[in-house]
Amino acid sequence: MSEYLRLLEHEIHIAALSFMGLAYAIRVFWLFSFRPVTEKSLPAGHPSRTVASSLFTVARPWTIEKHRRTPVFYAQFVVFHIGAAAAISLTFIIPHWPELLAIEAVVRLMQVTLIAAFVAGMARLYRRLSDPSLRLISTWDDYFALVMMNLFYVLGAWTISNRCGACSWIVLTFFLVAALIHLYVPFSKIVHYLYYPFVRYYLGKAMAHRGIGRYVHPEESSWRNKL
Amino acid sequence: MKGRIVNLAAGSQPDSRSATQYRMLSRLFRERLTREIAFSMVSCVHCGACAQACHYALARAHDPCMTPAYKADQIRRMFNRNMNWIGRILSGRLNAGTSAADADMERLRDIVFGACTGCRRCTFNCPIGVDNAALIRFTRGILTEMGVVPEGLSNASRNQWLSGNQMSVTEEEFFDSLDWIKAELQYELGVGDLDILVDKEDCDIIYAVNPREIKYDPHSLMNAAKLFYLAGESWTLPRYGWDQTNFGLFSGDDRLGAFMAGNLYRAAERLRARRIVVSECGHGYRSVRWEGYSWANNQQTIPTESVVETVMRYLIEGRIKVDRLRNTGSVTFHDSCNVARYGGLVEEPRWVLKQVCSDFREMYPNGVNNFCCTGGGGLLTMPEYRPLRLEVARIKADQLKVTEADTVCTMCHNCRDGLGDLIDHYQLNMKVVQVMDLVAEALVLPPGNEGNINE
Repeated sequence: MSEYLRLLEHEIHIAALSFMGLAYAIRVFWLFSFRPVTEKSLPAGHPSRTVASSLFTVARPWTIEKHRRTPVFYAQFVVFHIGAAAAISLTFIIPHWPELLAIEAVVRLMQVTLIAAFVAGMARLYRRLSDPSLRLISTWDDYFALVMMNLFYVLGAWTISNRCGACSWIVLTFFLVAALIHLYVPFSKIVHYLYYPFVRYYLGKAMAHRGIGRYVHPEESSWRNKL
Repeated sequence: MKGRIVNLAAGSQPDSRSATQYRMLSRLFRERLTREIAFSMVSCVHCGACAQACHYALARAHDPCMTPAYKADQIRRMFNRNMNWIGRILSGRLNAGTSAADADMERLRDIVFGACTGCRRCTFNCPIGVDNAALIRFTRGILTEMGVVPEGLSNASRNQWLSGNQMSVTEEEFFDSLDWIKAELQYELGVGDLDILVDKEDCDIIYAVNPREIKYDPHSLMNAAKLFYLAGESWTLPRYGWDQTNFGLFSGDDRLGAFMAGNLYRAAERLRARRIVVSECGHGYRSVRWEGYSWANNQQTIPTESVVETVMRYLIEGRIKVDRLRNTGSVTFHDSCNVARYGGLVEEPRWVLKQVCSDFREMYPNGVNNFCCTGGGGLLTMPEYRPLRLEVARIKADQLKVTEADTVCTMCHNCRDGLGDLIDHYQLNMKVVQVMDLVAEALVLPPGNEGNINE
C-alpha cells in the first residue's frame, strides 16, 4: 500500500471527519441560537406518537403525495440513500475491517448497492435537468452535490473490485473524494440529513400539540379540550 | 411570473430608498426569525415533491414559478444573504441575494400574497418537513411591516385596529342586528323567552362571531342562537371583542394577531366566561384556539372550541335532538385548511354531519390532505389576484364534481365564499352551506312546540 493511500485512509479521513463534525456542531448550535416558538394554548394530542410518526415519515411513503403518486421516486430515494450509507461504511471497512471484503457475498452486495445507487443518482440528475420546475429551483450546489455522490458510488463499486488488485489509484481516488465530501457536506444541501430529525421533530411537535394527523374518536375528542 | 430577483448585495447599485429597505429587511429578519423558521430555511433539498401537493403548481403545470419550493426560495435567498453565515461567504453557490428595490418587493408581494394561500398542503407533503407555509407567512409579516401589502388586506387590517372588527361594524349596527335576529327567532320558534344577551357575566359560553354574521349573513348567528336556546345553554356575546376573525393571521402581523385575539381573551376574563366558542370560521378558529394565545402571550386557562365541537358535545350529552331526514340531499364535506391541517378538527365535523344528514359522502382527498378552496390566506380580500385564484381552483372544482353531491358543506366562511365563487366560475350544479345550516335544519323542537318554521 502506498504511503499516500495509507495517509488518505487514516489521518486525512479522520481529519476530514473531525472537520465535518465540528462544522455540524457549529451549524446546529447556530440554529439553536434562534428563539423557539412557545405554545400558550392547551395541547390537544399525544406528543410522543405524533412526533414519532413525523420522525419516521421517511419510512412511511404513503404519507407523502409525491411518493403515493410516483412510487418509483420513492424507490430511487431509498436506493440512493442506502447507497450513501454503503459508500460511507466502505470508507471505514477498507482501512479497519478489510477482512469483511474477503467474503464474496459482502463484496457483491456492496457492488450491487452502489451501482443501483449510481443508477438512481443518474435518474435524479436527469430529472433535475429535464423538469423545468426543478431546473428553476436548482442551485449550483444541487447539481454539484449530486454529481459528487454519483462519483462516490462509482468509485466505491470499483474500489471493492480492485481492492485486492494492482490499481490502487482507484482506491486512492475513492478516499480523496470521500475526504472532499466530508469537507464539503457541511456547506451543501447534503447536510439535510443532519437537519431532518430537528425539522421533523418541530413539525411533529406542533402537529401533536394541535392533535393533527391522528384519528380521534368523537367521544374522546369532545372532552380533549377539558382542563 | 418571471424567475428573477435583483441581487443588491452582489453588486447592483442601490438607490437610497432600496438601501433603506434593505436595512429594514435585514433588521426584521433578525428580529423575527424563530428556530422553526430557521430550520425550514436551511433544510430544503429542492426535490420538487411539493409541486405535487400545491393546487397552484398542479393547475399551472406549465409555470415552474408556482412550485412551493420556488416561492419559498425567494425568501430563502434573503435569509442566505442576511442570516446564514455560509450564504454570506458563498453567496453564489446558495443563490443568496436580497430584493430591496420597489419592483422586487412588489414581485415578492405577488408571490407570497397572490400565489399562495398558505394552505400548508406542501408542508404535509414535504419528505423533510419544510414548513413552506410558515415561510410564506413570515415573509408576509415582513412585507406588511414594510408597507408592501395588498390594499384589500391592508384595509381590513386597519379596520380591525381602529374598530376592533374587520368590517367596522358600529355598536348600533351590532345591537340592531341582534334585535332583528332575536325577533326572527322568537317568531320562528314560537317562544317569547329567547334572548341574545350581551356582556352577561358568569355565562358558560362566550360566543365570538365573524362580522359578516352581523353585517350580511345573520343566519349563521341565528342558527347558533337557536342551538343554544334549545340546548338550554347560558351564553353571551361580548360588547367588544366579539370579532373572532384575525387579519394578523393573513398579513403575518403578529401584533395585530395579538390585539384581536387578546380582545376576546380579555372579554372572556372580564365576563368570567367558562368556555370560549367561535362560530364557523377557519382562520378565526385557528387564531382563537391556537395561534392567538401565543401571539397575545396569554396562557390558555379556559377551553376554547369551534361551535361544531359544541354541537357534538350537545349531541353526545343528549342536550339536543336532531332528525337527519330533514336533510335528504347528498352532502359532501370540504375540510378548511385552517381547521383540519392547522387545527386538527377532521373527525368532529364528519361525526356531526352523519347525525344531521341522511346522505353524506366523502370527497377525496380529504382531511389533512384536502385541497384548499382557493379563498384561503385572505385571498378573498385581494381582488387583483382573483383571475389566478379562479384558474387554480380547477383542482378543487374537479374534486367537487367527482362527488356528484348536491351540496358541499364546510365550516368556514372564507371557504364558503371561495367555493361559491368557483362553483359559479366552473358552473357546477351545487350549493354551499355550513355545518350549522344543516344542524339548524335538523334540530328537533321540544314536544308541544311546533314553531313557525314553515312560514
